[in-house]
Amino acid sequence: MMRTIEVFLVIIIITAAFIISSFYAVLPQPRQVSPLNLRRLALTTLQTLDVDYDLSETVFKPSNDTAWGELQIVLSACLPPNIVYNLSVYEVISGSSGELYKFTKSISNVESLGVSSDASSYLVASSNVTFHVTPEKIGQHGGGGTLYILNCSDANGWWITGYIAQSLAEDLYKLLSPYFVKTIMVQNTEQLAQILNNNTLQGEPVQNAVIINTFGEAVPIPSAYCKSQFSTDNYARYCYFLGQKVRLYNWTWVSIVGYPFYYVSNKQNFSSSQNTYGIYGMIRVGRPEHQDGGQSGINAFLQGLDNRTQYTYDRTKLIPDKGVVVTLSRQVLEACNYYGIYPSHNQTSTRALKSFILSDYNLKIGLSIFNNFTVSGTVYNPGSLYQHIFKNDNKITGSLLALGLTRTPDIRLTAISLLSYYKPRLYRSEYNATGTSRLVILQLGQVGGI
Amino acid sequence: MTGSTIDHLVSLMVFLGAILLFIGLFNQTIQTAILYQRHRFIATKCSDLLDNMLLNPGIPLYWGKSNCTPTGFGLQDPEFMQYKLSPFSLMRLRSSTGEPVYYPKTGLTYSNITMGFGNFLLVPYTKAINYSTAASLLGVNGTYGFQLTITPIITVSISEVQPKNPLRISVNVTGTGFPLSNAMVSYCFLTVSLTGGEGAYPAYTMKYGNVSTDEKGSVLIEFAEVNDDKVSYAFIAYAHLSGLIGVGYHERVTSVKQYIIPFIDDLAERRVLIAHSYDVHYFGPPNAELSYNATFVLLTEDFTLREMPMENSTGKVGKVNYGVGNPYGVVTIPTYNPGILVITYRKSAVEGGVILMPWGMSSMAFPVTFGEDPLGKEWVATDIRQVLVNNIAYQAKLALWSLEGYQVIG
Repeated sequence: MMRTIEVFLVIIIITAAFIISSFYAVLPQPRQVSPLNLRRLALTTLQTLDVDYDLSETVFKPSNDTAWGELQIVLSACLPPNIVYNLSVYEVISGSSGELYKFTKSISNVESLGVSSDASSYLVASSNVTFHVTPEKIGQHGGGGTLYILNCSDANGWWITGYIAQSLAEDLYKLLSPYFVKTIMVQNTEQLAQILNNNTLQGEPVQNAVIINTFGEAVPIPSAYCKSQFSTDNYARYCYFLGQKVRLYNWTWVSIVGYPFYYVSNKQNFSSSQNTYGIYGMIRVGRPEHQDGGQSGINAFLQGLDNRTQYTYDRTKLIPDKGVVVTLSRQVLEACNYYGIYPSHNQTSTRALKSFILSDYNLKIGLSIFNNFTVSGTVYNPGSLYQHIFKNDNKITGSLLALGLTRTPDIRLTAISLLSYYKPRLYRSEYNATGTSRLVILQLGQVGGI
Repeated sequence: MTGSTIDHLVSLMVFLGAILLFIGLFNQTIQTAILYQRHRFIATKCSDLLDNMLLNPGIPLYWGKSNCTPTGFGLQDPEFMQYKLSPFSLMRLRSSTGEPVYYPKTGLTYSNITMGFGNFLLVPYTKAINYSTAASLLGVNGTYGFQLTITPIITVSISEVQPKNPLRISVNVTGTGFPLSNAMVSYCFLTVSLTGGEGAYPAYTMKYGNVSTDEKGSVLIEFAEVNDDKVSYAFIAYAHLSGLIGVGYHERVTSVKQYIIPFIDDLAERRVLIAHSYDVHYFGPPNAELSYNATFVLLTEDFTLREMPMENSTGKVGKVNYGVGNPYGVVTIPTYNPGILVITYRKSAVEGGVILMPWGMSSMAFPVTFGEDPLGKEWVATDIRQVLVNNIAYQAKLALWSLEGYQVIG
């Protein structure tokens, strides 16, 4: 009998142990076993609403602004029907003892967020805060990286109607200097002579540089070259010399508009000469007796670029007889979106170059800026970057970027052409600010179920 | 002595019975606790796996814009951070909902996402990423099963209210739980012109505009120039309000049996094949040649649609016919910016139409369903995120379950 009593005592003890352990071993509610990650959902909702900085704009608006109503609508629209929310905005005030969060506004679609809720915070800055983009530098990895912009005060331009070369140079500097390791304004023809002789202006590498001629169809000529040898055929020989230098230093020579190397300009040396349109300080390239002699400049340049041992006077016409509306190529259109530079994608070309120069001068198209067109069976390139590459060689020895468009030049085309070719990457930096920040807290709760 | 033995036996039996009972009771508690841990683990795994897919662009970074099989699976847009997905990586996921389409002229089967007549996205199986490859790359092959669904948050429903004099189109904009009132709607209205002689290419005119929705999220748009219900047209609308953007589309065609079907051929080369519908659906005969005219529109930053010029050399216009000896057409998309390929087609002077194909999943807000069906699976954990695909708001939902064989239901 005693043993039975003992057993019952044991049962009572074990029962007590079970009851006590069951009391403490509380099993979670089903919703806690496999919960929806409300914190992540809140964060991604805030990020979605701030895709175009709409949320950043709204939270800085007065509390009676209609934008708050729109925010409430989109919150209700984008969250699942069983999710309720409370969005609170705090102004971040920086003080000596830390940051203070001052409540400014709250919107909600429910009185209580239920038994379980979670929240995410999101710091937004006022639209007054600047967003920084850091571009990759052309030439940063590898040679070159120098951009020379011809800004010669002692030369005149042509076919840049409505502008002067100096204003174009300034715009180009603003557009392109962030993308190059070093950007130098070549202030006069004397400085041009220096770089033609491989002398640096500010310690920059001369090799592999990009030179933008902002003078349109004219090209500045230093006084040192305004003499015989270079003056042959009204300075067509000088253009040949420029081609040689472009090849020697592996430059990229950029002609922003019109027919390249049509005139040479030096205000001092050609003070009594004019280009037949009343612009003094300028001489048309080519023998005076030839009305179309100006076309010898580009031919001479290409001869020099192709390392022809002897200069030959050649006034072969390289352009079509009529103007054609051309469209930007796919690569350049894509670059427009990437770099945020939007020239019109339709342009009129009157100085497109014949494609046979590719085979005649060992050129290869490195970038088609505009789609080519055909006139009378001849293919013309209205805007291209030509790379000089000798046969059986894969090394680039000089390049020419020629935009054969009609005046007036759109300098953004030059900029986007170079960026499309070199493709520098853009590193977008996060912004932060003091005194202009607000903290947005989105608290989500789940309704229904257990 | 006997009483003592009986007492001993009774007490032993009662004791053993009590012990067995308590073991059972404790065992049930412990089993429930283990199941809780398992379920909790699957839920955590689900959340981690979803972030792993959405916050990682994969390897190589631009696998969505190429034909290669990635060596790392991820859907994030490599040019952005956070929950922004690549519209092209999504395009390469083999759809688990649409009926696959076989195209005899290429001998390939195509993953099919078709959102009603005239809205096609067909990617060859050879270029699409299948479920088992993705599971292997994610390290869950054989241990977990999943289904990823990415659906647009904003639904833009478009319907024709009146066919002519004037054409009236109703646009309704709703979110997952609420209509989007006062939303700005930017639209592109493309009408097909079938004029010209036999075999002429269809011409088209495009009209753009902006309207706002009312408090119910609806707006009615009229086109007085449409005075014939035989006019084929496509209507594409982008609705946006405070950062939320949605897309809708609607077409009316006069040739519903013979039409154009675009097949993506090469993602790296941006090449699309233009096929005659009879080659896929076998309606014929009689069959007729279709001439087509393709154009590409993209959404600009100010929410307007812009036509992007296509060169003739890219296959902008052409003719296709059914049967052996009649090759398909080829068109090259001019850009990697997401947009919509609009192909107008002409069967005769009175029959024609227009079809749309998104270039990049987001441009027509196509949904994606990738993976196994969770129906009938034991204990499916789900998690959701709000994501952006080329600024179009989507909701990504992952359903995950264990394949390891032991019991997961208590």
